[in-house]
Amino acid sequence: MTITEKISLRLQDQSGLRRRTDTIRTWALPILIVLVFVLASAFVPEFFKFETIRSILLLTSITGIVAVGMTAITLSGNLFSLGVTASAVFSGVIYIWVGQGTGNMFIAAAVAIVAAVVIGLIQGFIVGLGLNTVIVTLAAGSIIYGLTAILTKGEVVQAQGVSLEGFGTFQIFGIPLPIYIFVIFTAVAWFLTEHTLIGRNVHLLGSNKNTARSSGISPMGTTIWAFTAFSLSIGIAAVLQASQMHQIQADNLPGLTMDVVAAVLVGGTAVTGGDGSPIKSAIGALFIATITQVMVLMSIPEGQRYFVLGVVVVALVVVLHLLRKAGTR
Amino acid sequence: MSSVGAWFKTYLLQIIVLILVLVSMYGLNPNFHVESSIERLIPLGVIAAGLAVTMIAGEFDLSIASMAAFSGAVAVALSGLGLLVSVIIAIVVGILLGMLQGWAIAKLGINSLVFTVGTLILLRGMTWLVCNGLAIRVDDITATDMFKVKIGFLTSLSIAGLVVIIGLGIFLSRTRWGRELYALGGGRHEAIAAGVRYNRGMIVAFGISGGCGALGGALVSAKGGSADPSALGVMLVAALSAVLVGGISLAGGRGTMVSAFLGFAIIAMLSAGRAGLGTKAFVSELFIGLLLLVVVLFDYFLSFVSERDRRNKLRKLAAAAA
Repeated sequence: MTITEKISLRLQDQSGLRRRTDTIRTWALPILIVLVFVLASAFVPEFFKFETIRSILLLTSITGIVAVGMTAITLSGNLFSLGVTASAVFSGVIYIWVGQGTGNMFIAAAVAIVAAVVIGLIQGFIVGLGLNTVIVTLAAGSIIYGLTAILTKGEVVQAQGVSLEGFGTFQIFGIPLPIYIFVIFTAVAWFLTEHTLIGRNVHLLGSNKNTARSSGISPMGTTIWAFTAFSLSIGIAAVLQASQMHQIQADNLPGLTMDVVAAVLVGGTAVTGGDGSPIKSAIGALFIATITQVMVLMSIPEGQRYFVLGVVVVALVVVLHLLRKAGTR
Repeated sequence: MSSVGAWFKTYLLQIIVLILVLVSMYGLNPNFHVESSIERLIPLGVIAAGLAVTMIAGEFDLSIASMAAFSGAVAVALSGLGLLVSVIIAIVVGILLGMLQGWAIAKLGINSLVFTVGTLILLRGMTWLVCNGLAIRVDDITATDMFKVKIGFLTSLSIAGLVVIIGLGIFLSRTRWGRELYALGGGRHEAIAAGVRYNRGMIVAFGISGGCGALGGALVSAKGGSADPSALGVMLVAALSAVLVGGISLAGGRGTMVSAFLGFAIIAMLSAGRAGLGTKAFVSELFIGLLLLVVVLFDYFLSFVSERDRRNKLRKLAAAAA
C-alpha cells in the first residue's frame, strides 16, 4: 500500500467517524425527548393529555422563539447575549403603552417589535466594531433595565379598558397562536440560515473570522444581520408574553436570559460558532420545557426541579462537547 | 520614580473615573460616607476578585454568584455547629467545588463559559435544596454579633475579605503559580509549550474563584444571619461590571488585583451614592451599564488608535526601506 492510499484510507476512516458522531449529535436530543415522553406517558398520570402537551408547547414557545433568534448570534461566533430579559421587558412595556394609546394591538405589536430591533441594531453595531458581545449586551441590558424601570417608575404597567391579549390567547384548532408563531419562526430561521447567502455568511463568519473576512464577508454586516434576527425574536416573544400576562413590570422575566442560553447550549449549537442550527435550539427549549413539566406533574418541589435541570444541562453540554471533539479529532 | 509613573499610567483611566464619581457623589450629597459604602459592599469586592482571577487565566466563571448563594445557604444551614465553623465549612466546600469545576474544564477541554452556565443552574438548584425552597435564618440571632465587631470603620468580616483580596494580589504577582495564570491567559499555547501545567492552572484558578464566591456569599449570610435561595443573582452582573470597569481584559492575561479593587471601588461608590440620595436601585443599574459601555468603548478606541499608529509607523519604515 502506498502512502497516498494509506492517507486516503485514514481520511475516509475519519470522515466516517465524523459522520457517525454528527448523526449521534443530531439525533440524541430528539430521541431523548421521545424517551421522556414515552416514560412520562407510562408512569406519570395526567401527562398524556392534550392539555398537558399543549401547555408544554406554550411554555416552550416564548423561550424557544428567543433561543432560535439567539442561535444566529451564537452561530456567527459572537457567543451569546446576556441582555435578553431587559430588552424583552422594555419591548413588552412599549407594547402595552402603545396598545393603551392607540387601542390597536397590531400597531402596538409593530411598534414594540421595531423598538426591539432598533435596540438590537445598536448593540449589533457595537459588537460589529469588534467588542465582546457578553460585555456589550450585559451593559446594554443594565441600561435598558434602568431606563425601563425609570420610565415605569418600577410599577406594574397594565392595559386598562383595551383588550391586548389577542396574540397570547387566540386559538386555531384549540392550539394557541404562540405555538404556531414559534413553529413558523423556527422554520423561517432554519430556511434563512441554511439556504440563503446571509445564513451562509453567518455560518462562515462563526467558523473562521479571518478566513471569512479574507473571502469578502463583512463581519460588521453579518453581525448586524445576526443581531437583527435576534432582536426580532425578542420583540415577538415580548409581544406574546405581554399579551399573555396582560401586564408587565421592570422586574419580570428574571430567568429568561439563562433559560434561553441553556436552550441553545442543550440544543447543541457550539459556543465557538459556525456549528449549529435554529432547529437544534428549538428542540433544546422543548426538551427543557418537557422535563420541567414532567417534574411539575410529579409534584416535585421547585428546588429539586431546579437541581435536576442543572444536572441535565451540565450532563448534556458535556456529552455534546465530547461527541463534537471525537468527531473533529 | 519611573515605576510609580508606570503604575499611574496603567490605572489612570480608572483613577480618573473614581475621582469623578467621588466628586459628583459628594457634590450631590454632602453627607456621603465612603467608609460605610466600602464596608457594605465588601462581599461584592471579594466576588469580583474571584471573577478577576479566572478572567486573568483566560477563562470565565459564570457560576460564581450561584456559588455565593450556595455557600451562604450552607453557612446558615450548618449554623448549629457555631457560625464561625459553618462559615469555614462553607468556604472549604466552595474551594473544593471550584477545584472540581476547574479539573472538569481542564480534563474535558470544554469552553468554561459553556460549562459554568450549566453549573450556574446546578449550584442554584443545590441552593434551593439546602434551603428547602424557603429563606432560612440562623437560630441564635446573637451568633452574628461577633462578625459585627468593628475595628476602625470595618467589621472583622470585611477585614477578612480585604485580606483575601490583598493576599490574592500578592499570589498573582509574586508567586510562580500566580504568574502561570497570567501566562495561561495571555498565550495559552505558548505557555503550555513552555511547560506551564494547564490542568493545575485551571484547578488553581477555579478553586480561587469558587473560594472567593463562597467567601462573598458567606459574608453576606453571616452578617445578615439569613440566606435566601433566590438571592445574590445580581452579584454576577455587578461583579462583572466591577472587573471590566477596572480594566481586566476578557481576553485574558491582563489586569491585576489593583484593577479589580479600583473597579469595585467605582461600582461601590456609585451604588452607595445612589442609596444616599434615596433614589431607587435601578438608577444605579443604569449608571453602571452606561459606565461599563463607556469604558469598553474608550478601551476599544485607545487600542484602535495605537494599532493605527503602529501601522503608520510600519508603513513609513517600509517606505524608507524601499
